[in-house]
Amino acid sequence: MTQNEMSNESTDPTPSAETATSSPDPSGEPLVEQSIDVEGTDETTGSTGKPVIEARDLDVFYGDVQALQQIDMAIPEKQVTAMIGPSGCGKSTFLRCINRMNDLVDAARIEGDLYFEGKNVYDDDVDPVALRRRIGMVFQHPNPFPKSIYDNVAYGLRIQDQTENLDEKVETALKRAALWDEVEDQLDKSALDLSGGQQQRLCIARAIAVDPDVILMDEPASALDPIATSKIEDLIEELAEEFTVVIVTHNMQQAARISDKTAVFLTGGELVEFDDTNKIFENPEHQRVEDYITGKFG
Amino acid sequence: MATEQGNWYGDDSKVENLRGRAFEATCLAATAFGLVSVLILLLYVARDAFRPFSADVGWHVTYAVTLLVPLAALVVYYYRSDEPAGEVAYVTSGLPIVGLLLTGGFVVVFTELLTVLEWFALVVSAAVALGLIVAHGRLRPKAPLERLLVALAAPVVTLLGTPPAQFNWLFNDLTGVLGLGVELNHQVISLRQAITMLPFAPTDWVMLLLTLVLPLAAAGGWFVGKRRESRRDGIAVVALTTVVAAFGLVAGPLLGVGVEGWVLLATFTGLPVGIYVEGVVRRDEGRAGLAFPAVAVLGVLAGSVAVDALGFSGPDAWLDWGFLVSAASRTPADAGIYPAMVGSVMMIIVIVLTTFPAGVGAAIYLEEYAPSKGPMGKLVTLIEINIGNLAGVPSVVYGLLGLGLFIRIMAWPQGSVIVAGLAVGLLILPIVIISAQEAIRSVPDSFRQASYGMGATRWQTIRQVVLPEALPGILTGTILALGRAIGETAPLLMIGAAASVRLAPNSFFDVASMMPRQIFTWSSELEPAFRHGVLAAGVITLLAVLLVMNGTAIVIRNRYQRQG
Repeated sequence: MTQNEMSNESTDPTPSAETATSSPDPSGEPLVEQSIDVEGTDETTGSTGKPVIEARDLDVFYGDVQALQQIDMAIPEKQVTAMIGPSGCGKSTFLRCINRMNDLVDAARIEGDLYFEGKNVYDDDVDPVALRRRIGMVFQHPNPFPKSIYDNVAYGLRIQDQTENLDEKVETALKRAALWDEVEDQLDKSALDLSGGQQQRLCIARAIAVDPDVILMDEPASALDPIATSKIEDLIEELAEEFTVVIVTHNMQQAARISDKTAVFLTGGELVEFDDTNKIFENPEHQRVEDYITGKFG
Repeated sequence: MATEQGNWYGDDSKVENLRGRAFEATCLAATAFGLVSVLILLLYVARDAFRPFSADVGWHVTYAVTLLVPLAALVVYYYRSDEPAGEVAYVTSGLPIVGLLLTGGFVVVFTELLTVLEWFALVVSAAVALGLIVAHGRLRPKAPLERLLVALAAPVVTLLGTPPAQFNWLFNDLTGVLGLGVELNHQVISLRQAITMLPFAPTDWVMLLLTLVLPLAAAGGWFVGKRRESRRDGIAVVALTTVVAAFGLVAGPLLGVGVEGWVLLATFTGLPVGIYVEGVVRRDEGRAGLAFPAVAVLGVLAGSVAVDALGFSGPDAWLDWGFLVSAASRTPADAGIYPAMVGSVMMIIVIVLTTFPAGVGAAIYLEEYAPSKGPMGKLVTLIEINIGNLAGVPSVVYGLLGLGLFIRIMAWPQGSVIVAGLAVGLLILPIVIISAQEAIRSVPDSFRQASYGMGATRWQTIRQVVLPEALPGILTGTILALGRAIGETAPLLMIGAAASVRLAPNSFFDVASMMPRQIFTWSSELEPAFRHGVLAAGVITLLAVLLVMNGTAIVIRNRYQRQG
């Protein structure tokens, strides 16, 4: 019942815009304009459009500290959406809300709604395990399991009982992650023997092996050298053809290079501006965003 | 810039550090005092046990020349110029000892505890139960509840059978209430019991070959095949082990160890040593280390020949082969520790079967499942604090618990192996829990995050990521705790373990004595030969077992740390 209502709502962009405008926000006036603007650009640019993830009035608290304040955001399908902002602004928290990884943090409390394909992921009948099987994640530090390269990529397939044609699926995932040529002959070697950049691409291969809809990336290149970083960036752009990619980054050039849309979070956990990447970096609405991007603060 | 007092360095500005030096010296002295006193005690006990001064001087000189000098030279060589060889020497000397101990353990099990036929029946029915569970999982992968039922029922049918006839009324009442009209008047026997009742059975060594050698050879073969990435090598290991074991049909009687003895030797000592030595030879690293055990064996052989030829008499040691294989006796010269050793081994079996699963299970719950918030969280915190306290409760108190719980309430025989095992098991349970918790906690959280992020359930994460990583640590902690258990005396006194027994226990409900209990008995004998000689021999035996257990734990830990 609820699900039907939700999906109806989410196909129609107006209600979410209304929700956004009606929501009281500490940043006041500008956010209202901005959220309308988001919808506007969506229509005018005609980007592939249909939002796959939608946050409405999302608040997150860690104990008594509020980490996110009334976030409204619609992340479009099969594009790269970057989230930038200073440390502690809540962008990673938001990312972890999407696949409910914050459930693992005892102190975290979430209020508001977050829709994935029209279903509120915080509904009681949603199993976070099922959700995470649709939304893969890549972490800041490469964290392959202390198993062989093959077993790492096959891990997700095995736990989801998709073990037919395992070899083939592992090979496909490694090829899509642009790692196959480097590890072809050493699939039985420990994943921990790989270099940092290779490990991170292995983690990406592991995430895409199960063919999720969305891939969340939490500063995936921040622990890597420039060459490994550029490889990861190329990879992300390729992945966006098939997956919706949401990436958190500290590196503004990186966001500018690879993303289609950019969300700017500023201190206190507020989403100040969310728009096409070009617009954010060339002509932001808000003075604060401009200050942040040009390095005057944060 | 130099001041009027002189330079900022050198004698002019000596920093006052007398207090620090004094503190350092005190610490060193305290450590040295502790270590030296233990060492002196051990030397004193060893002197009583082996009585080296009762041997001719020529005997000492002969063995020094044939054994000690070459070994010392080798050790110096390894230390100076070939460190990998030193490790190879350590493992190749230790592995046969552990293998021989295991062999001895199984020989004891087969002579005292079960017949080979019973073992065969046990393994076959366990395999059938496992096969049933796996087959069900393959055929109907989407029926978790049914699977649970099969997993519970299969072992009952194959291993346990229905309860003895005394309990049939329970079943009959139940069906009566349900109006089913089915009555159970006889005990339904399990597959295991059926096998033991077969009118014909294969000969012992064939059954051992099938149920002991083949599975272990297969495990060894799988290990080698995986490490070498060569299926052929793995199969070669299996084939070779089987052939060598089967060769015992001829070699066993010739060497006087019996066919079964040879089969056990080949599996537990031959197989691991063979795999390790072959690996060393192939890697060509530290090959010189293989000389150590060879020199040791040759030295002993040469020494004994020379001693015989020259007519020197050896020491009249208390701790000799006779001591290890004979029972307690009124005359010190005949006294032995065999029944007590069997008692200790069986006690360890009880502890491993009960405490290990309970302790590791508790640790997994506390680390991975237990809530940390709310009233339940408070309760869990309280439990964790009290586990720490329980680890410090005196062992006498655990003995009292065993006495009250297992003997008074459960009415199990006083001083039986099972009561001893459970009482001492309770004693080491907190230690096992704490060390397993440490091991689980040391698994990096990023592994868990990665696993959950892939959409793994908690159970999948624990089974596939956390436990494999934590297992070496858990094993190390458990082995060290078992070392404590095997030397524990007070609970044995409280639950009334026999002061000394002439026959080794044949079942877990037999009254038995254990090594520390037997040693305690000897300490209060009137005859001085018991108090000095036999007691010392018992202590050295116990210490040797402990040393081997701790050595194994250290090897596992080192291996694990190197990988990490």
